Amino acid sequence: MFGQRRSKRNIFALATLAAGALAVTALPAQAFNVHTTDGVTPTTIKLGITIPLTGSAAPGYSKIPAAMIAYFNYVNDNGGVNGRKIQLVVKDDAYLPTLAVAKTNELILKDKVFAVIGALGTANHIAVSKSVNLGRRGVPDLFLNTGFSGFADAKKYPTTFSLFPSYVMEAKIMGQYLKDKFPGKKLGLIYQADDFGTDALAGFKQAGTNFAVKVSYASGSQSAQTAAGWVSKLKAAGAEVVVMFGVTTASGAALATSAALGYKAQWILGSVGGDATTLKAVGVPAVVLTGAIGASFLPAPTDTSDPYVAFFQGINTKYNGGAVFDNNVLVAMNTAMMTVQALRAAGANPTQKGLVAALESKGSTFASAGLAPLNYAKGVHVGYNGYWFGSYNSSGELKPIGGDYSVYTTDSGAGAIAKSTYVRPALPANGLPTN
Amino acid sequence: MRNLFGHSSRRLKAAIAFPVIGVVLFIISNRVDELRVYQGANVAVYVVAIISIILLTGYSGQISLGHGALMAVGAYAAVLSQVYWHLPIILTFVVAVLAAAGFGAILGTAAGRLTGPYLAGTTLALAVGLPSLANQFGFLGGEQGLNYDVGLPPTWLGADFTQYKWFFWISALAALMVTWLSFNLLGSHYGRNWRALRSNPTAAALMGIHVGRSKVLAFTVSSGLAGLSGALLAMTISLVTPSAFPTSLSFSIVTGAVLAGVTLLTGSIVGAVVLVAIPEITGALATHLGGSEKVTSNLPGLLTSVLLIVAVLLFPNGPQAIMKRTRKSSH
Amino acid sequence: MGRLLNTILIGVSGGSIYSLMALALVLVWRSTRVVNFAQAGQAILSTYIGYVVITHTNNYWIAFPVALLAGALAGALIDILMVRTLMKRAHSGPVAGIAPVIATLGLLGLIRAVVGMIWGGDLRQFKLPVSNHGFTFGHNTIPFAPINLLIVMTTVVVMLIFSLIFQRTNLGLSLRASAYQPEIARLAGIRVDLTRTIGWAFAGAAGAVAGMLVTPTNYLSPNSLDLLLVSGFVAAVIGGLESLVGAAVGGLILGISLALVLEYISSSLAFPVAFVVLIAVLLFKPSGLIGAKRTRHA
Repeated sequence: MFGQRRSKRNIFALATLAAGALAVTALPAQAFNVHTTDGVTPTTIKLGITIPLTGSAAPGYSKIPAAMIAYFNYVNDNGGVNGRKIQLVVKDDAYLPTLAVAKTNELILKDKVFAVIGALGTANHIAVSKSVNLGRRGVPDLFLNTGFSGFADAKKYPTTFSLFPSYVMEAKIMGQYLKDKFPGKKLGLIYQADDFGTDALAGFKQAGTNFAVKVSYASGSQSAQTAAGWVSKLKAAGAEVVVMFGVTTASGAALATSAALGYKAQWILGSVGGDATTLKAVGVPAVVLTGAIGASFLPAPTDTSDPYVAFFQGINTKYNGGAVFDNNVLVAMNTAMMTVQALRAAGANPTQKGLVAALESKGSTFASAGLAPLNYAKGVHVGYNGYWFGSYNSSGELKPIGGDYSVYTTDSGAGAIAKSTYVRPALPANGLPTN
Repeated sequence: MRNLFGHSSRRLKAAIAFPVIGVVLFIISNRVDELRVYQGANVAVYVVAIISIILLTGYSGQISLGHGALMAVGAYAAVLSQVYWHLPIILTFVVAVLAAAGFGAILGTAAGRLTGPYLAGTTLALAVGLPSLANQFGFLGGEQGLNYDVGLPPTWLGADFTQYKWFFWISALAALMVTWLSFNLLGSHYGRNWRALRSNPTAAALMGIHVGRSKVLAFTVSSGLAGLSGALLAMTISLVTPSAFPTSLSFSIVTGAVLAGVTLLTGSIVGAVVLVAIPEITGALATHLGGSEKVTSNLPGLLTSVLLIVAVLLFPNGPQAIMKRTRKSSH
Repeated sequence: MGRLLNTILIGVSGGSIYSLMALALVLVWRSTRVVNFAQAGQAILSTYIGYVVITHTNNYWIAFPVALLAGALAGALIDILMVRTLMKRAHSGPVAGIAPVIATLGLLGLIRAVVGMIWGGDLRQFKLPVSNHGFTFGHNTIPFAPINLLIVMTTVVVMLIFSLIFQRTNLGLSLRASAYQPEIARLAGIRVDLTRTIGWAFAGAAGAVAGMLVTPTNYLSPNSLDLLLVSGFVAAVIGGLESLVGAAVGGLILGISLALVLEYISSSLAFPVAFVVLIAVLLFKPSGLIGAKRTRHA
């Protein structure tokens, strides 16, 4: 196989192949967009997003880019942002850190986007932040779709702005809620055995919550079969109130299986796994969901009495082909609306530096569907920091307990939990920001 | 030592060829933009990974669908040696090789009696099971992972010497060294033993080759290289995290090896370039073709899959076969 | 005692699904010597077709045979369009061991992409054919429901049917002969290609059964059977790849081991279990529990 003559040929084949192959990949990358700098032209602003469009994390998340584009198109049809139309370049990262880095590099080095928005996945985005180094490049990294508290560190991630309240905040507030409403009850917890769950455990520890039984599951292992194991553990421990701090497929499996096994408990669903629309889609009967308690920082996506939800549903019908309007679509459109405000705040001639500065100075005043306050300030990149509790009614809709939203806020550290007095800004006329 | 380095004229030619390639790569890396340099680093990482499969499958005839897990072992070993022992970066790569080789030796011994699908199943189960263990032990950093920082490029390389160019230099150098060592290894009596083993284990045993030991050695060497590529992969994303080593990674590098021709070391570059280029090309093509969101998001996967099937069906023996065919037809 | 019994029941209901997928993989292995990674894709496609029928007819029992037929048809087509060429071009040399892996993985990607293009990535669900409420004894609800019983019974039936076909019919004889020694089989007048196509069709149908039975208690998405494929493969290997009974037993061993580990060791250890069980079995029996008498190199 490797005779001497062949080996000679092989070595030179290697040389030519190596050079050739790299020369092929070395085609000039910016041949088609030399006239743009940093994604802003007199008529356009180019933004980018990497998100799982395929693979096992795709269900749910894959709806986000289309919903964002729907809102951007609506804004574009109404004159855009200071005369510039917003373009969103979408790349599939399949929820893998390696692809997230590769695709973000494409966005920044090839597509030359002005900013990236709505990134998600803890490991993915840590990798992106370190390797691509958005901070050093000065690329704004807006409105992360994750509750990992670490990204709010403005020193470590100077151009990154969190949006969601952190998992720690959620667990802290939930712990307080359990203390207030279910004193003396036997508590159970189901959580994901990774950073998502670790953050939750830290928050519950802060709140001084004692669980009689804690069941962890490896991310991706949730199914009707594994859920049967969770339920028998909860049952054996006699848990009367169970907190479900996992993804939607896990909370779906937990609820459906507990119903099938005749296990009755007061369920409390974390915000990540509490989207009623998705729960019903994975086969949780409405009757099982009824009476469960859920936490959220947004209005329920089915609550058409909410002006933001009603408006976004209209956009969804007209610009998004009437996709199923769930939490992901609401989050996406809300993020898009905040992005438009950030771009407007950056002025008539936006720069990347200017965008970061504008968010720090004006971000906390943005109109958004969120019922908890936005905390952006100089050196503070924390978005929402609170939750309200509701219960699912007979049609599976999360309704505030007592009829009015009572939002509780806190931080990701040892800070106290307080009842919020925040009143969100009214929906701008026709949903078009004028800030 | 003579055996390890094979024939002297081979050695001489290699001694000339490899520096030449190095210089060519150096010149290229200065001429292309940052994205291509970053992708070049990825190509080099895959070259090492694919060679690890070529040695295993192409020469000793064993199948592994779990090399992603061995890459994880290497990556975690490297980052732990940096975090806890503060080893200099070059030594962390050595640790990666040794740890993965050690792990591979144990696995190879356990799996030594397994053939074909039994080995494939075992290694696949390893790929599924091993990375998730990082969430069980706090010191492994969980899903947030551990930062793997090879540091900034030395200042004497100049201010415009980017981080990615540094990654490229490190991984390209590693890939060249691995290719060169593998050439020599395959030319040595170890390589001959493996080939004999692959084509006819019974005859090989009759010739006095210790079948079990020879297979374990192949598995060990292959694992060591996989460990190195794992550390290099972690370098390019600056992070070691379980989700960087999914089952699909194991499949990808086996795919790369098939595209490389399974027995052709030089083919590894073809396999690696394809692995890096495909997502970008199919992505761009999908955007260009347009269509509904459902279609565009699945089009890259469709194109990649079709390409893969066509390649395996038409050229199961890789570019080697194509070159042979064209050579034949040109005569 | 109740706890152990509960855990074993959970293991049996999980394991019987692995058994079904393992049966499909063994059927292909026996007829072609290929580990068919596209099996998950074929099962997904058949199940989506079943899903469409259910949404139109609102009847699971009409959808079930339709999905089964679709699975068989897809299996046959894959053999004719892809495997035939593969067998001709990559039957020997170092690539022969991994070319089928790559080809079937490519096919898995292709089917997933097509399914994604048609039905999108949303999670879907159809109603249960029978109840998933555990049987009750007095005040005790056990983690075993009519749906689990249905799955276990189906596994047994599928296993018996194919065992009978293999052991007692001429077709079965041809199937075994074609797989074992295709050249000699051909000389003996067996239409090897056709026989193999039938083997793939059988496997496609078995995979469709697995998809149709596992989906109602879980959900459907282009990737929803990925993990089942791995579990099924591991189960098939535990069982020795050659034997249908082995596949069924392998699935149960895996399912029960998983349930025991999750209950008694740690509920977050789901993924390493398969590897540990597999290594434990193969260290003692390198070609599986009911493997071939002599080792072959595939």
